[in-house]
Amino acid sequence: MRRVLSIIGSRLIQLIIMVLVLSFVTFLLMKITPGDPIRAILKVDDVASTTVDEEKLRKEYGFDEPILSQYSNWLLNVAQLDLGESVISKKPVFELISDRLPATVSLAIGGLIVLFIIAIPLGVIGAVYEDRWPDYISRFIAMIGASIPSFWLGLLLIYFFSLQLNLLPVMGKGSFVHYILPSVTLGIAMAPIYIRLLRERLISTLQSPYIEAAKARGLRKERVLFFHALRGSLIPLVTMFGLSIGSLLGGIMVIEILFSWPGMGDLIVQAVLQRDYPVIQGYILIIGILVVMTNLLVDLLYLLINPQIKQGKEVV
Amino acid sequence: MKKHLSLYILVVMLLAIAAGCTNSDSNVSKSGTGENASSEQNDKSLTLLFSFSSKTIDPHQDWMGVRAGIAETLVKIDENLEIQPWLAESWVQNDEKTWTFKIKDGVTFHDGTAVDAQAVKASFERLLKVNEAIGSSLKIESINADGQEVTFVTKEIYPAFLSELVHTNASIVKVDEENIDSKPIATGPFLVSEFTPESEIKLERYNDYWDGAAKLENVTVKFNSDGNVRALALQSGEADIAYHLPPETLDPIEASEQLRVESVPSLRVHFMLYNNAKPALQDVNVRKALDLLVNREVAVNEIMNGYATAANGPFNQEFAFASQEQPVAYDQAKAEALLKEAGYEKNAEELLEKDGKVLELTLATYQGRPELPLIAQYYQAEAAKVGIKINIVTIENIDSYLWEQQNEWDLATYSNLSAPRGDGGYFFNVAYLPDGALNPGQINIPELNDLTKQLNGTVDLNERIELQKKAVAIVQEQLPQSFILHPHVIVGVNDRVKNWKPGSEEYYLITNKMDVE
Repeated sequence: MRRVLSIIGSRLIQLIIMVLVLSFVTFLLMKITPGDPIRAILKVDDVASTTVDEEKLRKEYGFDEPILSQYSNWLLNVAQLDLGESVISKKPVFELISDRLPATVSLAIGGLIVLFIIAIPLGVIGAVYEDRWPDYISRFIAMIGASIPSFWLGLLLIYFFSLQLNLLPVMGKGSFVHYILPSVTLGIAMAPIYIRLLRERLISTLQSPYIEAAKARGLRKERVLFFHALRGSLIPLVTMFGLSIGSLLGGIMVIEILFSWPGMGDLIVQAVLQRDYPVIQGYILIIGILVVMTNLLVDLLYLLINPQIKQGKEVV
Repeated sequence: MKKHLSLYILVVMLLAIAAGCTNSDSNVSKSGTGENASSEQNDKSLTLLFSFSSKTIDPHQDWMGVRAGIAETLVKIDENLEIQPWLAESWVQNDEKTWTFKIKDGVTFHDGTAVDAQAVKASFERLLKVNEAIGSSLKIESINADGQEVTFVTKEIYPAFLSELVHTNASIVKVDEENIDSKPIATGPFLVSEFTPESEIKLERYNDYWDGAAKLENVTVKFNSDGNVRALALQSGEADIAYHLPPETLDPIEASEQLRVESVPSLRVHFMLYNNAKPALQDVNVRKALDLLVNREVAVNEIMNGYATAANGPFNQEFAFASQEQPVAYDQAKAEALLKEAGYEKNAEELLEKDGKVLELTLATYQGRPELPLIAQYYQAEAAKVGIKINIVTIENIDSYLWEQQNEWDLATYSNLSAPRGDGGYFFNVAYLPDGALNPGQINIPELNDLTKQLNGTVDLNERIELQKKAVAIVQEQLPQSFILHPHVIVGVNDRVKNWKPGSEEYYLITNKMDVE
């Protein structure tokens, strides 16, 4: 229990430091990137306005103030749990993100399920039949998965399963069937590294003395493989998952936009294009916290999978 | 163990074979999909797939309110791009700043309450509050409601007021409702049953619609920003109408027996902007020569696959105030003669030179509209033939580049809606006046500025048309930009959709007249 509490405590301190650094760096990057949301707010492409109007509005929003003071204003509001409102739609940022987060998370879970369905069997096959033809097939599939861009894979899946076979809906979110194509796209896009990682890890585990000992005791091969070797080999996968949660949430955007999934994808892409600063900042903040929390969860999971692991002693 | 694994492999292989086999069956199932989809939804429902998603459907903030047939404006533009009554039956201009509109009798909101002048007034008051940009462009000083008559007083003489009312955000909604951003109560033929931001709007017929209840019972408007997916959704029968299809996706749609492609010139114009601050470009002969090197025919037929109309000025030719001239044809010899007249001679490297300075131009372009970089590349090649060296730079954020690095670029490809509400006043103000928000090229033609100011004070419609024609003539003579083409609105339509055609304006997508069979 003490172990658990100290992990949580150190993670919370990390979280605060990370949030400060992350938010400041994004703030800085956003401000030095050319452009601001003024033209979008004025709808310059649609209604008549002048450069004088633009300057006036820029002052009103405080975009001409020093970056540091803009940042401290934002941080002060965040400290009061206020993420501000979108400069374009005038809606609270927290509401915009929290309305869409569940859809994104549910798609991520769908992708993870597909990931495990693909990665575990292929990884096990690769390890058990090391350097034989089933292993080559497993490696080939991993290579294909790694080299296909996810938007193209998504288009191919739509083409075959929605258009040619007329089995699955092209897009949207409704019933279970709507989950299949985006989850499969996401799962296949993520699977390759997990397949390779599981294979390597399993190969080395299968050669370790305790497996030999288990075999020597006359345990059945399946039992040794699935209860002894696989359990130990799953740890690096969990680590990998903790580390890649950030890129997962980034990659999911492309898939959401492709399948009109009502998650955060479109919101964030539009916010970046229109330089909707509060939305971008709020998103970075919430995702940052989510990533740290997931890693905390991963650390706790270690204890569950293998209580012998002492943090810091065995690096996986 | 072995048995289990071989089973796995077997399953994987079977799946692979199954996937392979689908190819051979595909033709059969493909021809079936369109029909299957239509017979499934034999009820009167339709799905329209649009490209730009909506975060809100508050008609005062988002165009979808009018586009999806939920809300309506006082006046609209018809297929000839002329202003027509809509919720207003008639209007008079009492004096230079006062307009009175008579609201049609029998118009009701989706909850059954009648629309009177008071409701219209309340709706406009909310619009001015929630939408600063439109609020300031309408320049309303005060609104007065009396029975069915609503009177607007503008802050200044503002003849374009009537055409500004065409703006979809100037639509009439019931203001004392709560969820206006997700379930607006308005007057259109359809009412919202469910809205998922950035994903879809589910609409139901409003039975007491003033212009006769819609033929369709249910309409779903979906959003997808990927053009390929929109085309696939149309082919699979999941969408009946798919907007803004990329030209390269059209072949299978044109080949299909159940689908058709509709296209109409849009109100948008693609053009090349000259930087007026650059000495070389201040010579009108140089601009004329550069204009003659724009190959509009190639741009329309090769780059846009024929889904565009060559431009003869800033405005869609359908407008009464547009130029009637033929678009300028590519003419290398004439361009060379003009450049010679301007004092340019070829140097030893076959490049044009004047006073020891080579004519080398930087052309800025951006990926946001994929055809623009192609047009730029083609132009670069044409210009090279006469000895002009063009360097293309591709910019991510074109607007801030054009404004903030004004001394770096000479030419820029750009695109604008030039007369979004049936009047060119907007474009003359925003693109040509020295402080206009779309004038990074620092265009300043005194004659044109005077005409624009005169236009801003002219009320009579015919006089306005004459003034705008004159202004267009000046633009075509002075060539502060070279107008290239009007891209078409390309829409894929399932043949089960009847009584429907896309309009140039892209405002009225869902109507009470459209039907399916």
